[in-house]
Amino acid sequence: MDKLVIAGREFDSRLLVGTGKFASCQLMAEAIEMAGAEMVTVALRRVDIENDNDDILSAIDRSRYLLLPNTSGARDADEAIRLAKLARAATGIEWLKLEVTPDPYYLLPDPVETLRAAEILVRDNFVVLPYINADPILAKRLEDVGTATVMPLASPIGSNQGLKTRAALEIIIEQANVPVVVDAGLGLPSHAADAMEMGADAVLVNTAIATAADPAEMARAFKLAVEAGRIAFKSGPRAAAIKASASSPLTGFLMDG
Amino acid sequence: MTMLRINGTDREFPAGIPHTLTELLEQLGINQATVVAEIDGKIVERQSFAQTRLSSGQAVELVRFVGGG
Repeated sequence: MDKLVIAGREFDSRLLVGTGKFASCQLMAEAIEMAGAEMVTVALRRVDIENDNDDILSAIDRSRYLLLPNTSGARDADEAIRLAKLARAATGIEWLKLEVTPDPYYLLPDPVETLRAAEILVRDNFVVLPYINADPILAKRLEDVGTATVMPLASPIGSNQGLKTRAALEIIIEQANVPVVVDAGLGLPSHAADAMEMGADAVLVNTAIATAADPAEMARAFKLAVEAGRIAFKSGPRAAAIKASASSPLTGFLMDG
Repeated sequence: MTMLRINGTDREFPAGIPHTLTELLEQLGINQATVVAEIDGKIVERQSFAQTRLSSGQAVELVRFVGGG
C-alpha cells in the first residue's frame, strides 16, 4: 500500500484509532496493535485526586504510536487552545486533533470556533488535524490557514451510522490538497472500506472497535477493510451502470446453429 | 494554613506544606511523570515541578491523558 504523508511524516497505516471506551487498557493495547495503527488519539482530563486511576500512557508504546491528543471537551476556540497547550506540554510534540463540540447531543463541531482556533494554533507551530462537519468550503478555509489534514465526519461521533455525508465527502476529497481523514460515525469495516474506495486518505475509528465484543478482532477487520479500500481506489474502480454488461463472451454459444 | 484550589476543589494544608508542586503531588499520591500542571492558568513544565513554589490562594489544575477518540 502507498504511504500516507501528513505534515511531512510518512505512515504505512491509514487507520487511526481512538483509545476511548475500551473496557481496559489491556484491550486497548491489543486493539491498536491488531489495527496496525501508527497514530492513536488520546484526551486530556483532570486527574481524579481521590481515586488515582491507571494511566493510559503506560499502555501505549510511544516508540510505535504517534500520540494525537484531542481537544475534546472544548466548547470554544479558547478552551481548545488551552487544551492544546497542555497537551503539548505533556507530549513534547505539536500534533493535535482539534475538536470544538459545544453541542452535547450530536457532538457536532463548531465550524467558526474550529477555524478560529486552527488559525491561532498553526501560527503557534501546531500540526493541526481538525475534526469538522463535512463542509467543503470549511475544509478549504482550514487548508488555507495551514492545517495538516481535514477530518470530516461520516456521521455523528459514536453513532455507527456510516457515510451519511457521502455527497459532501466526495466534494471535499475532490478538492483537498491535504489528506482527508474520515473521522466519526464509521460503524463497520464496510463503512471504512467505502470511504477509502471513495478516495479518503485515511479513517479514524474508535467506538466501533472499542465497543465490539472482541475489540482486537474488530480492529483487524478494520485494518483489512482500510487496506482493501485503498488498494481498490488506487486500482481505478469503474462506475456503476444501469444496464448489464456481459462478463463472458457473447459469441460461440453451443445453441448457435 | 495554605489554601489551594485543586481541580476546582478547595483544599487546606498545614502552613507551609506542601512547599512545591512536587511535594503536593507526593502528598496527593499522584505519579508526577504523567501529569501536566497549570497554576493560575499558566502551564508549568514538568522539569520545573520541583522548583515551583506554591502559595496560598493559588488555583492548581492537574491533568493527564485518558482514552479518547
